[in-house]
Amino acid sequence: MGIIDKNVMLRNRGKMLLGVYEDEEKVMAAAKELTGHGIPVLDVYTPYPLHGLDRIIGIKRTNLTVIAFICGLTGFSLAALMIWYMNVHDWPMNVGNKPLIFATSWIPVMFESTVLLTAFGMAFFFFWRNRLAHGIEPELLDDRQTDDRMVVVVEAGNVNEQEVLSIYRKTGAVELRERLNGTQKVVG
Amino acid sequence: MNHDSIIRQPLVVGGKTPTDVTADISRPILNKPSTSWRVGFVISFIFLLLLVWTIGYTVWTGIGVWNINKSVMWGWDITNFVFWVGIGHAGTLISAILLLFRQKWRMSINRSAEAMTIFAVMCAAIFPVFHMGRVWVAYWALPLPNSFGSLWANFQSPLLWDVFAISTYFSVSLLFWYLGLIPDIATIRDKIKTKAGKFWYRVFSMGWTGSTRTWARYEVVSLILAGLSTPLVLSVHTIVSTDFATSLVPGWHTTIFPPYFVAGAIFSGFGMVLTLLIVARKVMNYENYITIGHLEAMAKVVMLTGTMVGMAYITEFFVAWYSGVEYEQYAFINRATGPYWWAYWSMMFCNLVSPQVFWFKWARTTPWFIFMISIVVNVGMWFERFVIIVTSLHRDYLPSSWVMYSASWTEIGIFLGTFGLFFTCFFLFSKFLPVINMSELKTILKNRE
Repeated sequence: MGIIDKNVMLRNRGKMLLGVYEDEEKVMAAAKELTGHGIPVLDVYTPYPLHGLDRIIGIKRTNLTVIAFICGLTGFSLAALMIWYMNVHDWPMNVGNKPLIFATSWIPVMFESTVLLTAFGMAFFFFWRNRLAHGIEPELLDDRQTDDRMVVVVEAGNVNEQEVLSIYRKTGAVELRERLNGTQKVVG
Repeated sequence: MNHDSIIRQPLVVGGKTPTDVTADISRPILNKPSTSWRVGFVISFIFLLLLVWTIGYTVWTGIGVWNINKSVMWGWDITNFVFWVGIGHAGTLISAILLLFRQKWRMSINRSAEAMTIFAVMCAAIFPVFHMGRVWVAYWALPLPNSFGSLWANFQSPLLWDVFAISTYFSVSLLFWYLGLIPDIATIRDKIKTKAGKFWYRVFSMGWTGSTRTWARYEVVSLILAGLSTPLVLSVHTIVSTDFATSLVPGWHTTIFPPYFVAGAIFSGFGMVLTLLIVARKVMNYENYITIGHLEAMAKVVMLTGTMVGMAYITEFFVAWYSGVEYEQYAFINRATGPYWWAYWSMMFCNLVSPQVFWFKWARTTPWFIFMISIVVNVGMWFERFVIIVTSLHRDYLPSSWVMYSASWTEIGIFLGTFGLFFTCFFLFSKFLPVINMSELKTILKNRE
């Protein structure tokens, strides 16, 4: 299905140039420098979110908010339908002569159901889109990328490799690497 | 773009780097448990066994082993239910409402507070479920087809709203907690050496790599979940309060209940967070992460919500007089001067008077003192629920059915047992999962505003 974002996957790619950093400001500088030179950054792997980096490397704002809204609407309608069917249609129940349809007493259950479906629906699509599932083997570039290191990834191919490496070097990368078919080689 | 704040105290002290954060927070997980952990775990587990035993006895013999009766049909059970649900409010409040208000001090405490929420809601759910008596038909509370009886569930009943509210709150809190844990589980996955550890942390990290694309979406999802959880957390105790407020029992039938219960829930939740974290920061050496500043901020919340609750107690009294309804007036006079006067005045002292010491800076910044007050708050909030439930029920409209109520040893055992469940879960959590949100904390190390 087209829901998985192919950009989060590293397999079946050609040669990649990796710049390993230990400082978030240097990563931001490198990302700016690369995109400033017209070099597309495939991704940056960081142990914690770097705010603003997504916009620098040109990641579009997610549509998950729309999905959340649709899920919420579904939850709201399903709850209304359920209560209507059970308490109005199938077995009308007169409680203290209160109105049968859309009594204020429907609100709590409709609200809870809206929240429940929004939360789980959105989380489900978030996992799907980012190819997150239980037991998946992570595609790690550095065994410290979830600890204190950050890895900038540029796909070699249409870019000047030497220019990329020199930008990495200039912006303070601690290590430069090449990755081809899952094997990495330190190049500086 | 970034600059150091000259006004605010740093949220993490000790000049920590991301490397230090990973090392410090994952130490309890990567190493063998300490002696204090083992002792604490064993004690908690014994209390958990007490829970199993007393509940087994209740189910096997019948609900008659509790001292509830035709007048006081809700006793310790619902008192404990509301007590635990209230405690379960701080976690989501800290992570959701404080996230929306951009209160960054939440980052050191939100993980453990959320864990606490989940365990507290588990403890809470035990009471109404076993109070049903025939617990094997507890699923009748769900909206199931009427072949199980002749009717569908009644959606006009606040008790049914509660089923939806508590189960939604539990599921969404669990999701929120787990979502926050994924990046940290991935960190542990890449650090741990044991074979079983590698396997399980790999399973639960869901293949997390820390891609900026994922992070960007992750932040949006967290924000929406926070936005959803904020009305959710307010709705849960509102609905719990309607269990009482929609009835015609004097002392319950009041419109002030929803805001009053929510304030009380936040108050008791922060009380329990303080109790746990003051011990945890000492035992686990997290004083650089959970600083005096954090304790002070929480003490301020306790003072504010305690005062709100106290205000509600006084307002209730005023309205009972102002309404001119003699049954309502009697219910409140009976609370303060009747046979349960000791419970009422304990509640007043613990919840209204004692948090006022936090006006003094010394009181807000001295851990052992905050710990003492937090215990007083926990006790006070239990008494609040006892007062609301038992004093309103024990003298109803018909004086011939007036009774006194005191808990049986089974009821006491179940209550103590839920502490066993709560702390057993908390000890397991502190051993196998990072108690502080590492990935979030790493973003504020440089004290940026």
